[in-house]
Amino acid sequence: MFYDLHMHSCLSPCAEDEMTPNNICNMAVIKGLDVIAVTDHNSFRQLPSVEIAARRAGIRLIYGAELESSEEVHMLSYFPTLEHTIRFQKWVDDHMPMIRNREDFFGHEWLLDGDDNYRETEKRLLLVSLDASLAECVDAVHEYGGKCVLAHVLDRKNSVTQQLGFIPMDLPYDGLEVKTPEQKQRVLDMHPWIKEDSTVWLCDSDAHRLIDMSEAVNELPAEVLSVLAGRTL
Amino acid sequence: MKIQELVEKTNWKTLVLENPDAEVMGGFAGDLLSWVMGNGKPGEVWVTVQVHLNVIAVSSLCEFAGIVLCKGANMPEDVLAKAKDEGLNVLYSDLPAYETIRTLVGLGI
Repeated sequence: MFYDLHMHSCLSPCAEDEMTPNNICNMAVIKGLDVIAVTDHNSFRQLPSVEIAARRAGIRLIYGAELESSEEVHMLSYFPTLEHTIRFQKWVDDHMPMIRNREDFFGHEWLLDGDDNYRETEKRLLLVSLDASLAECVDAVHEYGGKCVLAHVLDRKNSVTQQLGFIPMDLPYDGLEVKTPEQKQRVLDMHPWIKEDSTVWLCDSDAHRLIDMSEAVNELPAEVLSVLAGRTL
Repeated sequence: MKIQELVEKTNWKTLVLENPDAEVMGGFAGDLLSWVMGNGKPGEVWVTVQVHLNVIAVSSLCEFAGIVLCKGANMPEDVLAKAKDEGLNVLYSDLPAYETIRTLVGLGI
């Protein structure tokens, strides 16, 4: 299955306004993707509308969000159902500092309906770190029935290797995300204890604009993606 | 100056003091561990608010004389236990990083 499991809707302040639920899902179909995940910063609240758009477009959707730990490490979380995300959102809200978004500086945080109409604005800044460590975030996601993938692990910004020097040996993550196949080899060279074959490797776009969404080039077996999704895709 | 002497002069809390004779040759400040790994030098005291287990590995790797945690940085017990195993020194200044560093500079470090 061709996948792209890391992109941002217009709920994320840093994403373009064009990243609406229907634009994303229709673009995914045009690009020939089989499954996508829309992963806004610290919020699952756009997903009910994305779900409507995904059904209409005929694309599979994994319910996710990109969390930021207290060490400012970005981590993707995926859940089996919308109900799971609603329960876990409460945990996220409890660990999120109350900082009001400054739209003129960070950009707006729009929640749309299933037809891409404006519904409301998220008032809190979502680009923040939670007051939970990376290990605590991983544990919480697992406790709430989800899976964790460390995001863009070699990035110069907000990656586990940048913030913590290297990937902790005993962190029970479910997958590692790299930007290119070459990065995977660098991760393996840096971490002799990481096993190539027993690790789930994702290569996602982290798109903030429609044009940046992945083409149908990154492929994983349906069984592997189903494990991350927590349900049969 | 030895780190033991630094403790006596500052009254900073010693969370782990496994190597009291470590010679303090300078200081380094940073919370991005990748940056610290690439730039820290042996004998420096490392001023940080980062308390992840990887701090211990980075400190050993750089051969720091000690770690100085700033106000509000609470290192978990398992991380302190690891620091003890590794024979490191971990102090708690109870001051923000700026004041912590000012104190070190004032002592001639």
